[in-house]
Amino acid sequence: MDKFIELGQDMAALWMQYWDRYLVGIRSTLILAVAATVIGCLIGLLCGILNTIPYTKNDPLLKRFVLKFIRVIVRIYVEVFRGTPMVLQAVFIYYGLPYFTDQQIMFRGNSGLWLAAIIVVSINTGAYMAESVRGGIISIDPGQTEGAKAIGMTHVQAMTNVILPQAFRNILPQIGNNFIINIKDTSVMFVIGFIEFFGQHRNIVGNNNMYFQSAAIEMIGYLTMTLIASFLLRLLERHLDGSSSYQLVQGDALTMTAGTYNHPSRGTPFDERSTEERERTRQALKHGRNRGER
Amino acid sequence: MSGAILEVRHLSKSFGGHEVLRDIDFTVSPGDVTSIIGTSGSGKSTLLRCINLLEIPTSGQILFHGQDVTGKGVNPSRYRSKVGMVFQSFNLFNNMTVLDNCVVGQVKVLKKSRAEARENAMKYLHQVGMAPYINAKPRQISGGQKQRVAIARALAMEPEVLLFDEPTSALDPEMVGEVLSVMRDLANHGMTMLVVTHEMAFARDVSSHVVFMADGVICEQGDPQQVLTHPTQPRTRDFLARFMAQ
Repeated sequence: MDKFIELGQDMAALWMQYWDRYLVGIRSTLILAVAATVIGCLIGLLCGILNTIPYTKNDPLLKRFVLKFIRVIVRIYVEVFRGTPMVLQAVFIYYGLPYFTDQQIMFRGNSGLWLAAIIVVSINTGAYMAESVRGGIISIDPGQTEGAKAIGMTHVQAMTNVILPQAFRNILPQIGNNFIINIKDTSVMFVIGFIEFFGQHRNIVGNNNMYFQSAAIEMIGYLTMTLIASFLLRLLERHLDGSSSYQLVQGDALTMTAGTYNHPSRGTPFDERSTEERERTRQALKHGRNRGER
Repeated sequence: MSGAILEVRHLSKSFGGHEVLRDIDFTVSPGDVTSIIGTSGSGKSTLLRCINLLEIPTSGQILFHGQDVTGKGVNPSRYRSKVGMVFQSFNLFNNMTVLDNCVVGQVKVLKKSRAEARENAMKYLHQVGMAPYINAKPRQISGGQKQRVAIARALAMEPEVLLFDEPTSALDPEMVGEVLSVMRDLANHGMTMLVVTHEMAFARDVSSHVVFMADGVICEQGDPQQVLTHPTQPRTRDFLARFMAQ
C-alpha cells in the first residue's frame, strides 16, 4: 500500500512539473493518429474498391488485363506493408527516400518529420484497411447489387448508393480498431525523432530517471485516449444504425384511394387477415375466379 | 413480329459445360401476362435473369422493341431501367428507408428531381398499400410487405415490362395472398408482366399466356386454360398431376 502512495506522490510531482509537455505529446499523438487513420482509410477504400471491380470473360482483353494488374499491385502493397514492422518502415521512408533520391526528396525540419510520420502510419493503416474494405464489400449480399442493377444503376451508382454505405457500416469496427492501434503504435515514431506522447516520456525520464513513474502516467494517458475513442466509435455506430422503431405515416383521409387505409392498427387490405378471410382467399385461389372478372 | 415488346430468339445459356437453357423462343406483346412454370432447376429463373442481362446468354437474341440487347453498343443499365425486376429474396436496399428504396432509382438513373420522384414513389406505395410504412427500414417489415415495396420500387421506374422471379416463394402462405393480390391488380391495369411462379391458380386465372419449361427447354406454351387443363405433352401432364396431388 505504501508503494502505491509513494508512486502516486511521484506521479503527481512529475505531472506538476511536466504536465504541459505531456499534454503537447498527447496532442501530437492524437493529431497523428486521426490524420493517419483518415488517410489510411481512404487508401484502403480505394484499394478495396479497385480490387472488387467485377469483370467477366466477355470483357475486352485490355480491361481484364488492367484490372488484373491493379489487383496484383494492391496485393503486393498489402503483403509488404502488413508483413513488416512499422518501425522499420519509418526508417526506410524517412532515411531511405533521401538516400535513394540523392537527397532530392528529404523530410526537412519539423514539418518534414510530421509529413514522414503521417505517410508511414497512413500507408500502414491503408494496407490493413484494404483487406477490411474488400471483405466489407464482398460480405454484402449479391442480391443488393442485383437489386441496384435491376433498376438500371451502373456499377459505380450501385457502389456509391447501395454497397459502400452498407460496407462502411460493417467495417466501422475495423476502422475503430485501427484508430486505437494507431493511437498506441504511433509511439514507434520515436525512431525518426518524432516527439509524441511516448517521445515526451523518453525526454522527461532522460532528465530525472523516474522511468517507472512516468510510464504509469503514460499508461493512464493512453488508456484514457483509447477509452474515449472506443466510446465515441460506439456512439457513431449507434447513430448510423438509426432508430430501432419507425413512425407510421397517417395519410390524408381525402387522398385515400382503394387499396389504402386510414387506420394502420386495423391492418391493410393486404396484411395478415382473419381466419375467415384467409379461407375465402384460399378458396378463391384454389378454384379460381372467372376470367371474365379480370 | 411487330408490336412485340420482348422477343426471345433461340436463347441458350451454359454454365461451364452444363447447358441450362436450350433454344428458348417466345414473344411478349404489350399487356401480356406470361407465366413461366416448371419444376425447380428447369431454368425458369435463369431465363428471367438472362432477359434482364443479369446473366449473359451464351447464344441467341433478346429483342426489346426489335433491338437486340445482347449485342454490342447496347447499354445494359439503360435497358434494365425499362425492364423492372422483382426478386424472390426482395433485394431491397437495406441501408435505405422504404421511401428511399423507391426514390433512389428515379433520382440517380432517371435523373428526376427528388420532389417529383417522391411524389411518384408515393403513388406506387399507395397502390401496393405500403404508404404508411415509408419511414421503415427493410429489416423492420415483414416478408410480404418487403415484396410489396419491391414491386413499388420496380413500378416507380415506370418500366415497360415487369419481370417477377418467384415473387412469393420466400413467403409464408399468409403473405403470399397479399403479394398475389397486388400482382393481380397490376395485371388488371394492363401491366406487361413475365412471371416465374409456382402459383398455379395465379398462372391460370391471371395470365394470358403460360410457358411450361422442363430441362432447359420450353416443353409447351399457349393459352393458360389449354396448357393447364388440357396439356398435350406428357411432361406437362406429369408435372401438373404431381402438382395437383399435393
